[in-house]
Amino acid sequence: MQGFFLGLSNGLVCLAYCAPVFVPYMLGEGNGIVRNISLIARFLAGRLFGYLIFGIIAWGINKAVLETLGYRELIIGNAYIVLSISLIFYSFLNVKTFCAAEYVDGYFYKIKSSWPALFPVVIGLATGLNFCPPFLLAITNAVAVGSLLQSLFFFFMFFLGTSLFFIPAPLISMLRGFAALSIIGKMATGLIGLYYFYVGIIFLINGIKNI
Amino acid sequence: MGRLKSFFGYTTAALAFFVILATFLGLNFFSSKLVSATGIKVSPRFTGGEVIKTIYHNAYKTMIHRPVFDGLIGERKTGFIQINWEPLNDWPEVIEETIDYTGDNVEDFFIKIETKTGNTIITSKNPQVVGIEKTYVLKSGCAVRILLKKQ
Amino acid sequence: MTNKANNVESSEHISITKTLLLTLPMMFFTFMMLSAGKIPAEPNKIIALTITFIFANTIFFLMLYKEKTDKYRAILFITYAICFVISFISNLMEIRGSMAISQENLLLCKTPFCHIVIPMTIIPLALSKTIIFPGTMVGAFASIASMLVLWIGASLALGRGFCGWGCFFGGLDDGFSRIFKRPIIKHINPKWHYLPFAVLLATALTSAMLLNPTYCEWLCPYKTVTEYVEVTTTKIFIQTIIFVSLFLALVVILPILTKKRTQCGLFCPFGAFQSFTNKINPFEIRINQEACIKCKRCIQICPAFSMTEETLKDGKARFTCIKCGKCVDNCPKGALLFHVKGTSLTGSAATFRLLFLYPAFLFLVTMAGSNIQDTILRIMRLITTGSMILR
Repeated sequence: MQGFFLGLSNGLVCLAYCAPVFVPYMLGEGNGIVRNISLIARFLAGRLFGYLIFGIIAWGINKAVLETLGYRELIIGNAYIVLSISLIFYSFLNVKTFCAAEYVDGYFYKIKSSWPALFPVVIGLATGLNFCPPFLLAITNAVAVGSLLQSLFFFFMFFLGTSLFFIPAPLISMLRGFAALSIIGKMATGLIGLYYFYVGIIFLINGIKNI
Repeated sequence: MGRLKSFFGYTTAALAFFVILATFLGLNFFSSKLVSATGIKVSPRFTGGEVIKTIYHNAYKTMIHRPVFDGLIGERKTGFIQINWEPLNDWPEVIEETIDYTGDNVEDFFIKIETKTGNTIITSKNPQVVGIEKTYVLKSGCAVRILLKKQ
Repeated sequence: MTNKANNVESSEHISITKTLLLTLPMMFFTFMMLSAGKIPAEPNKIIALTITFIFANTIFFLMLYKEKTDKYRAILFITYAICFVISFISNLMEIRGSMAISQENLLLCKTPFCHIVIPMTIIPLALSKTIIFPGTMVGAFASIASMLVLWIGASLALGRGFCGWGCFFGGLDDGFSRIFKRPIIKHINPKWHYLPFAVLLATALTSAMLLNPTYCEWLCPYKTVTEYVEVTTTKIFIQTIIFVSLFLALVVILPILTKKRTQCGLFCPFGAFQSFTNKINPFEIRINQEACIKCKRCIQICPAFSMTEETLKDGKARFTCIKCGKCVDNCPKGALLFHVKGTSLTGSAATFRLLFLYPAFLFLVTMAGSNIQDTILRIMRLITTGSMILR
């Protein structure tokens, strides 16, 4: 559930940032609703694939780093605190984050002409690789859970939470009310950052007690 | 069409007064109907869940609630069980008791509670029993919530 | 009657006779609600009932006669908030000798249910049919079911007018916002207008995640003047600092400096949630764009940040409007009016206003009545015995 809610709180922001990337490519061709639904489904499949890769990476970090180094609670606690502070700043200030989609523009054209069916999947993968503080927090959360299955499940739920807002995309006007939703989403994410700050402090205290 | 909208508008506006009137006059009736029609209740995470077993001793009675693992959807991995003690005659200063909450005639944990101070010690005999969440010293009796974790 | 909304000014004001005739139904219904159908036996209760009845109906009479909504609404609304605090705290002192909620009260689920919790309970209620609040379902003061019924009725009849006419906390920041004649902070970045919706989203999600009302636990500033959890741990101590700070900042200091209801307009998640009920409510505030001279007085004066440049273009208040009537009262050209959705803008503004005032005022008096009477009784007891505690 935590993954789902973290994704849900970030979903509006994801939509606001990703839509300017995929809308011109996908919806500008004047396709019908059925075709758009197929495009969105492939787009979301690409996003899911990207998120699941990160689920595996998160499990790998847990196995390779945390279990080797020890001081698990201390490291996770610190990560939560740093990331939640950056999340709060990201939410209330105008901060740009790395989104892979912006950097692979040239490749999109090549893929679109060579493998048009795969094109929405690749767009989805690229927009999913957005190293924003909520995404980094999701990685930290997934690292904290421990097992591969739990990590994958966490990212799957995170994906579901972010994707809920993409579902009506083919049906409604993309631009109306966007600015307001984006602001609300970012502020809500910042407030949830406060909750993760508190969780980080608890982890840190427990980690210090166990030294 | 315009006239119809207008008529509908004025009607709903006028009805607003009667909605307020009905809300207050029928408050008790609507409240009980709301509960009986929907079946909504306070979350067992706050009420402690239903009492499944009452054990009568000479001086007090022990009320064992059901284990609460209720989550948003389905059950969670962690939960608690609430035990209440209420005085019948003399209220002892210390209560020592073994509790079987699973109903399989196997002891799940042993608890010792100082009824005036709330100091509590438990000895777990079931791997599901993790520890003490909180002890409550009440005006009439005491209660404890024991943390449980599904294996 | 002046009908400035249609840009027709007449020298006729409403006559006293007509005002009295319009007040008579309100007098009947307020008496019914305040007395709960029976006249009390004790003389001091009769005095309290009489004072409350006269006070409320004088306010209504003046509201109609002077054709000013907000000025008189505010008097009753602020009185209600103050009396609620006095009555609530005094009751707690009688029952348990302290404002602090004991762990026992939480365990036994005896906490009164407040309407602000409602948005946080929706997701768990929908998915698990349970209320995540340690209260009583029926049969107690502020039981969960009764507050839900009140909320449903108020939402249907008034929409977010609940915040302007029913909320027993709103009068506090409304009162503080009227202390100075002019605002010291004149401009607030418009992006902060979205904060209550962000608080709503964040608290609804975290409450569903943790199965605990997080706004109540961590943020609600009104615990300062009602009840709060006994400080027994560091976590509760930190929560106490947070809500006291938020009360001072959002309910006292910022309303004084900005002359706006900053807690209601910039933070309260219930207010944000209640805004959506404006969509189903028949009443709204509209702007007669022919009469409007774009002086932006309504934007400056709106306490709930519901008037913006966009609303002037659209010809109606934002969906966050609390229907207090302040913009209507203060428009120099009478271009703003209460309006009934679906009807023509050229209809009678006075009729629209009356259609709104009857349910709104009755709701306010009924909610406020018992608190005002209780406070009067306590003041009388204070004068005669030196103590406000009745039992």
